Amino acid sequence: MALLKCCFDPGEVAEMFDTLYQNDPGCCCGCCSAFRPRYKRLVDSIFPVYPQDGLVKSNMEKLTFYSLSSPEKTDRIGEYLYQRAARDIYRKKYGFVIIAMEAMDQLLLACHAPTLNLFVESFLKMVQKLLETTEPDLQILATQSFVKFANIEEDTPSYHRRYDFFVSKFSAMCHSGDSKEIRDKIRTAGIKGLQAVVRKTVSDDLVENIWEPVHMDKIVPSLLFNMQDSSFHKDQRIADDVQEDGTDPPMLAETCMRELVGRASFGHIRVVLRPVLRHFDLHKLWVPNEFAIHTFRIIMFSIQAQYSYTVVEILMAHLDENVKSSATIRTSIAEVLSKIIAIAAGESVGPTVLEIINSLLNHLRDSVKNGTCQADEKQYQEALINALGEFANHLPDYQKIEIMMFIMSKIPFPLVDNQTPADNMLQSILLKSLLKVGTKYQTIHLNTTFPVSFLEPLLRMSLAPDPEMRLLVQKILHTLIDRHGNLEKLSKLALNIADLDLNIEKSSRPDLIFINKHGPIIYDALYTSLQMDSNTPENIEAVYTTLALLCVELNSTETVIDLLQLLLGIQSLALSSTALSAAQKFNLHTLVIGLLVLIPDVVNIQPLSDYAKRLVEARKEEAPHCLPDMLSHYPGECEPANKIPHLLVDQMAVCDYLKASGIDSSRLSQTSPYGAGGPGVIAGSQRHSWMETSARGSIMEIQSVHEVDSAASSPGLARKMPEEDLTFESMKKVLTEPIEVRKEAEAERRKQISQAFRTATFSELVRRTQPKHDILQNRLNEIFKSLSVTDAGNVEEPKGTQIPTYEQNFPELFYY
Amino acid sequence: MDDYKFLFKVVLVGNAGVGKTCLVRRFTQGLFPPGQGATIGVDFMIKTVDVGNEKVKLQIWDTAGQERFRSITQSYYRSAHALILVYDISCQPTFDCLPDWLREIEEYASSKVLRVLVGNKIDRDDREIPIQVGEEFAERHNMYFLETSAKESDNVERLFMQIAEDLMKQARMTNVPRYDPNSYNVDSSSQESSCCSRLT
Repeated sequence: MALLKCCFDPGEVAEMFDTLYQNDPGCCCGCCSAFRPRYKRLVDSIFPVYPQDGLVKSNMEKLTFYSLSSPEKTDRIGEYLYQRAARDIYRKKYGFVIIAMEAMDQLLLACHAPTLNLFVESFLKMVQKLLETTEPDLQILATQSFVKFANIEEDTPSYHRRYDFFVSKFSAMCHSGDSKEIRDKIRTAGIKGLQAVVRKTVSDDLVENIWEPVHMDKIVPSLLFNMQDSSFHKDQRIADDVQEDGTDPPMLAETCMRELVGRASFGHIRVVLRPVLRHFDLHKLWVPNEFAIHTFRIIMFSIQAQYSYTVVEILMAHLDENVKSSATIRTSIAEVLSKIIAIAAGESVGPTVLEIINSLLNHLRDSVKNGTCQADEKQYQEALINALGEFANHLPDYQKIEIMMFIMSKIPFPLVDNQTPADNMLQSILLKSLLKVGTKYQTIHLNTTFPVSFLEPLLRMSLAPDPEMRLLVQKILHTLIDRHGNLEKLSKLALNIADLDLNIEKSSRPDLIFINKHGPIIYDALYTSLQMDSNTPENIEAVYTTLALLCVELNSTETVIDLLQLLLGIQSLALSSTALSAAQKFNLHTLVIGLLVLIPDVVNIQPLSDYAKRLVEARKEEAPHCLPDMLSHYPGECEPANKIPHLLVDQMAVCDYLKASGIDSSRLSQTSPYGAGGPGVIAGSQRHSWMETSARGSIMEIQSVHEVDSAASSPGLARKMPEEDLTFESMKKVLTEPIEVRKEAEAERRKQISQAFRTATFSELVRRTQPKHDILQNRLNEIFKSLSVTDAGNVEEPKGTQIPTYEQNFPELFYY
Repeated sequence: MDDYKFLFKVVLVGNAGVGKTCLVRRFTQGLFPPGQGATIGVDFMIKTVDVGNEKVKLQIWDTAGQERFRSITQSYYRSAHALILVYDISCQPTFDCLPDWLREIEEYASSKVLRVLVGNKIDRDDREIPIQVGEEFAERHNMYFLETSAKESDNVERLFMQIAEDLMKQARMTNVPRYDPNSYNVDSSSQESSCCSRLT
């Protein structure tokens, strides 16, 4: 050993003597070895006489020591080992090849970083040589060595080294088609090799870029091909797979895939995903799509979280490309999308969210426009809506509202009759998506759930001509209003409130403020929607549910008054309307009694509750058709409600009962049959909103204007104002008169007015106002002309002209 | 041994069942495996031949003909020096698909790649494609043409030797060792890398 140290000054002679002492007398190299360079002799000495004896350990240590102490020799050692191995492969002496590889491995691990580069060259040549053979064992061995090499951290860059062959060969190995046993081994080796290549190259910017499409197009399909196997044989193989995990190609491929995706940076995601999509296309793996879902989940879970939405985008783009494919494929892709979209939702922010939603909506629109109504296309739309819902489900709440508003803005307006079926379909589909999103949303405060910009269009939609659509809107309202899980219990009109076991909580202040502010427009919209002659019992029942939910969610005496006002309004509508069918009127009466039972129960007004029960009992006796269930057709002998006034809800009675329980019912007794708000701020905001909506000029809205017969909410008010005699005299009077007097006088007049209109006949009213209302008449005529023929009938009813009459006769009412 | 001077990558393409794997087996191992199953993905063989006095190593990538493996097989085109497009002379459809294959080659392979058209299975009696038709097609598309039989070992050796010679000729013509991104430089023969200019 001491002599070995003089190797720093290596002379061939010294080496020769050295070997003479060192060499085993029994070595096969014998005498001639003395005349060979020292490194060759050392290399030769590690090979045993018989390959099955294995590497000569002691000599291997010598070789290692030599290579460490004279690092400049390492490349020659490597080269020589390689040559020997190549010769042995040629001679099919595989035992020696294995030994040579083992020696290479040991040297590689022993080498210090600076000298590694020299040795790696021949090491990789050796690995390649082994991979080129047809012997599975050698290929596997080579892969193992390559993996060892890949695990070494190199600190010097190697610009010229390329892994092209390895990627190609390992990918080919992943597809090995040998007999079962060998096949799995080779495939495992191939996957491990690919994993090693990725590991080796990914961390180092200076070596070959593994993210080139050339490589990814090989690596990704190879991994997928192996993963795919697992999903096909999962059931019968899962049992015996568990213990030998890591050696099973599908499992390993999956791990490798995770690693690969996990390392992908933003720019590389596309390169990785493109082959994935192509693989699915070519192997027809979209239908059925279990494997696709499985794979994309893996991708989503292993990808760096901030990029996850890119996957969604790319998949969405793929959906774009597949516009021409069969609906089943698109459905499958959309399903995959819906399965993974939730994972991305957590990371998506700002514009990306809307982008994703937008493109989903675009797909929906395309689908609606192109495919008319095949079942497949329907499924596709369902899948898209599901995806939308899933996505929304995982977004923070504030974004859900944004999304709902966004979807709302996509719904085509105006809701006129002359639209194409496709438009209609789109509207209802979008509403369905809205409903889907809505069900995922958990309302906390009503005012955050319903910002004005969302509430108003929604209410406008609730007056759509199509009853189906109105039903959808009501459902959206239900899910958004319901906070305590009462929706199920209230979805059917019931008279035994106690059985329902409602979950009631005292409403919070923000909610009350909300309902004070927006209640009127909500009630108005509901009231108006009840006037539609296309309503089915479902529609009416849905309105009941909405009102019932509002009542439960906002249980306070103030809202009770509003609701009762609305009830009375609905009742009078049922009595006086000419447009509604008898069945619809009965339905309305049912709705009224249903709510009348519910309200006092929720707010606990015993007398009123008793009254409601008495009414129910009486109706059971005499008019069961005014009780649930609601039907679309009633038997002919049912008496119209006008004939049985004692079975109706009496305003005075209600007022009295309210008073009896200490609730100020003055508002209820003051105003005319329907007017959700009394005079004041509420009415102001209400009127304002109607002015706004009527400006949009939709038929429905104009109609609703006419139906509103409350003084305060009259649309004529705004027009009327400037015409009134705001003279100095009148102003002075206002200023000088004490407030109480004026209020009293006003109340008195109001009473008179309502009295007059309640008692006087229509013709009388007309006669009384005849000479004065030409201007208004003209104005109204204009509006009537713009209405369609069917609606014209509606307009001719008394209420339509009551407004002008009223205004003409009692202009002083409008002072305030 | 390993003192080859040139390394060429040859890729075989063509419809499923035309005999690509059999051609490769016949050439590299000298056997005709009856009942050869369909290739999965890509297979790999190597053979060193002597051209003149030089040793030339041929890396032969045998691709699957099945449509579903198209994505992986296409990725091998790019680095090829020569592409062997195989059809079955007893099967008209395999010939009809040739334009599609050519389109794919245009798209994915290097433009300078050497292209050879091979009509395989001439040992069969039920010939559907006359030799002239194949020749014409090859001529029209500027390719070499050869008819072979892997079973009878007709022309197989000649096919690969011809390719090796041509590639070597090319390599010699452009002898300047220029950097080729598609070559694999770990091999000792780095001067061989620029061998794929189009034949004239």
